Amino acid sequence: MVMTNPNDDMLDDLFATARAAAPAPSDDLTARVLADAEAVQPQPATTTAVMPGLWSRMLDAIGGWPAVSGLAAATVAGIWVGVAPPSSVEDMTATFIGDEVSVSLFSTDLLFDEGAWSDG
Amino acid sequence: MNASPDPFAGAPDEALLVAYANGDGQAAAVLTARLLPRALAQATRMLGNQTEAEDAAQDAMMRLWKIAPDWRQGEAQVSTWLYRVVANICTDQLRKRRGVSLDQVAEPLDATPSVAAQMQTQARMTALSEALAQLPERQAQAVSLRHLEGLANPEIAQIMDISVRSVESLTARGKRALVDIMAGRKAELGYGDDEPE
Repeated sequence: MVMTNPNDDMLDDLFATARAAAPAPSDDLTARVLADAEAVQPQPATTTAVMPGLWSRMLDAIGGWPAVSGLAAATVAGIWVGVAPPSSVEDMTATFIGDEVSVSLFSTDLLFDEGAWSDG
Repeated sequence: MNASPDPFAGAPDEALLVAYANGDGQAAAVLTARLLPRALAQATRMLGNQTEAEDAAQDAMMRLWKIAPDWRQGEAQVSTWLYRVVANICTDQLRKRRGVSLDQVAEPLDATPSVAAQMQTQARMTALSEALAQLPERQAQAVSLRHLEGLANPEIAQIMDISVRSVESLTARGKRALVDIMAGRKAELGYGDDEPE
């Protein structure tokens, strides 16, 4: 047999009274909560681009590593032309040292003269 | 019922929280409309005081906003988390009250049919809150979730992160202690010869 404590009834009634309390949030409370939400809301992430270094910017400007290899080849070729100029180029260099030589850029002799390139 | 169209209708609270954390302006309003009434009701039932309950509900919602960016999806439901946070805030508040008469800060709750009835309801809620304040915190939380929020023991176990058996033990001991505490105030609260309202 379970003895019921009369005070249990009182407590149950108190619980029921409390459960009945369901106040609607006031406009003021709602406004406070929304203001809080706005105040601490994370801002959309802004991505700050990292400034690339001088070297990598120069590299990009000329077209990356493939362009660098091309530049290296051209540099080597330029040195070679300077050290051992082909005869057609010798004509051109003569203009810089005083000889008056006229060279046609469109001369087939200049462009297709095998000997000019193969003589080294 | 759809006076104002809800662009997040049907979206789970968790999705709204993620939207809020990603800067969505409307998500906070929808979450507030969904969660604030329940948080306020829970706080009101535990604290029996409107001002304190409003502050507790606001505090709980603030903690929600702050945790939003770090919310671990799929781990807990937002509603479960909020029950726990409100319960913790309220037991903290109850602890601060110990030894302080709530009469000094009690305010009438919302209007009831008559002033006398309103005063008695307020007195009873204040008394219940004062009694809860005398319980160990875990007992107070378990009792309030079980008997004031009407939650099932497995749900309370999840909220409090304890076993169902522990919930049963805490609520049983808590309720017994409350009966003892309230026994001396029976007449004062209108439970003497009168029928309980």
